[in-house]
Amino acid sequence: MKTSGRRNDTLAAYLFLAPAILGLIFYTFLPIFGVVGMSLTEWSGLQPPTFIGLQNFKEIFTDDMFFPYSVTSTLYFALFTVIVGTLYAFVMAMLLNQKIKGRGMLRSVFFLPYIVPSIGAAIVWAWMYEGNFGVINYGLNLIGLDKVKWLGEELTATPALGVMTVWSFGNFIVIYLAGLQGIPRAYLEAVEIDGGNAWHKFRNVTLPLLSPVILFNVLMSIIVNLQVFVPAYSITRGGPNSSTLYMVYYVFRTGFQLNRFGYASAVSLIFFAFIAVVTAAIYSTSRKWMFFEGE
Amino acid sequence: MKSQNRTSALLTGLVVLIGLACIFPFFWMLRSSFMSNIEIYQYPPLLFPKTWKFENYPIALTIFPFGRYFLNTLTITLPSVFGVLLTSTMAAYALARIDFPFKKVVFALVIGSMLMPGTVTIIPIFKGWTALHLSNGYIPLIVPAFLGGGGFNIFLCRQFLMTIPKDLDEAAYIDGAGKIRILSQILLPLIQPVLISIALFTFIIYWNDVLGPLIYISRNEQNTISQGLANFRAGYGTDYRAIMAASVMSVAPAVVLYFIGQKYFIEGIVLSGLKA
Repeated sequence: MKTSGRRNDTLAAYLFLAPAILGLIFYTFLPIFGVVGMSLTEWSGLQPPTFIGLQNFKEIFTDDMFFPYSVTSTLYFALFTVIVGTLYAFVMAMLLNQKIKGRGMLRSVFFLPYIVPSIGAAIVWAWMYEGNFGVINYGLNLIGLDKVKWLGEELTATPALGVMTVWSFGNFIVIYLAGLQGIPRAYLEAVEIDGGNAWHKFRNVTLPLLSPVILFNVLMSIIVNLQVFVPAYSITRGGPNSSTLYMVYYVFRTGFQLNRFGYASAVSLIFFAFIAVVTAAIYSTSRKWMFFEGE
Repeated sequence: MKSQNRTSALLTGLVVLIGLACIFPFFWMLRSSFMSNIEIYQYPPLLFPKTWKFENYPIALTIFPFGRYFLNTLTITLPSVFGVLLTSTMAAYALARIDFPFKKVVFALVIGSMLMPGTVTIIPIFKGWTALHLSNGYIPLIVPAFLGGGGFNIFLCRQFLMTIPKDLDEAAYIDGAGKIRILSQILLPLIQPVLISIALFTFIIYWNDVLGPLIYISRNEQNTISQGLANFRAGYGTDYRAIMAASVMSVAPAVVLYFIGQKYFIEGIVLSGLKA
């Protein structure tokens, strides 16, 4: 009785898990093998793929004038959005955590951009950034500065798209605010009793207690931002001069627009390694600045 | 005391100011959608239209069939939300409540898949659907939702199911309830707030998806709102009054949904960032 009950349990468990396991097989494992296999082929999609060994990788690293742009622009975008985004979210959360009126409503305002369709938001931002008629340049004129071609210059295009992206990640403000509100008052009061000021509270209580939350959200944000696609696709089309030719957009263009599926797979694979290395690097340095409760 | 009030008022003022900057793009979109093209291109820019051009909306609708796109987007989104809720709670139940061989391995794989960057595998997955002759249509967009609903949702449901005492399951079991009834009638109602959050976020993710429809939908009459808007802008790049009106229409449903389900959105995002 006991063993057949256990066998039934096992069967039931795997039936409940069947969709998730199929997902793992068909949407994670097989595609990874697929991307490795396809990266060794030349495949236009019309004829069957032909095996060409490491030819694609050789071309990417020696002959592809776009690939270096795509690496540096992606890294530039991810670094910009993670640093500016984390600072923005954290400072706003700190401000919202003070005694201010209408906190709930303000929190909603900052969160709203997170849920609106990115294409709609991108269209209005692109118009605000416009060089001749844009309202952002009007603002610059008002304070006596010259107009900037935000989306038309290699140096400013990525920060411009980055600011738009940071704006759209209001979710991090909500997360950090909840984290701040979860800090026990007693800890902060203890610092006060010891004669500490606001900086001491921040440095010795708030920051260490929130460091796991910060690490998790920095990792999430970097994984998401390395995969940036919509701004490049909908606003800059990779330009000017390939300065916003972010990896996913490059893969999309090579695969789905130029029909070089083998080559695009090879780029995807390098991109995968790239994300893994960046994520692992952040994670491994985190031991130095992370505070684990109970340690 | 008085100086404390003053800093509090100052802080409120500062946050309100940044808040205004934050909703400014929405205001700008709305105000532009009621202007003539001449007014939109005016410099220095006008704050409000001189005459409100409500006809921009009907004009936009002649080339941007919002109703059609709306229904198309719903056709993808609603089944996907259902699929995510169904299959992620099933998996979570097995992981939270049943002992079975290789449970730890399965759990680790499910959670590990969370870190897998989805954009890396778009090409082999597309080729898979092509081999099945299904690469043009809604099926490739909906099916993944029925394959576990994402490691993160499974994890979240599992964590909440773990907090419910097992006595409840056992009492129901003694009364003759099977596993499906225990899950659907006893456990799921108890984690309803989490399920609502998952449903809302899944809805928004599918509703706003750009890359998926771009790859799998090629006929205009099947387009989603986002894709229709992107094509509209690409095709009518200078007719800004119509583009802005179309943008307002594309943003409106998400904003309405947000204000209806605000509480669950906020709770959901807190869960996603803190409990994981």
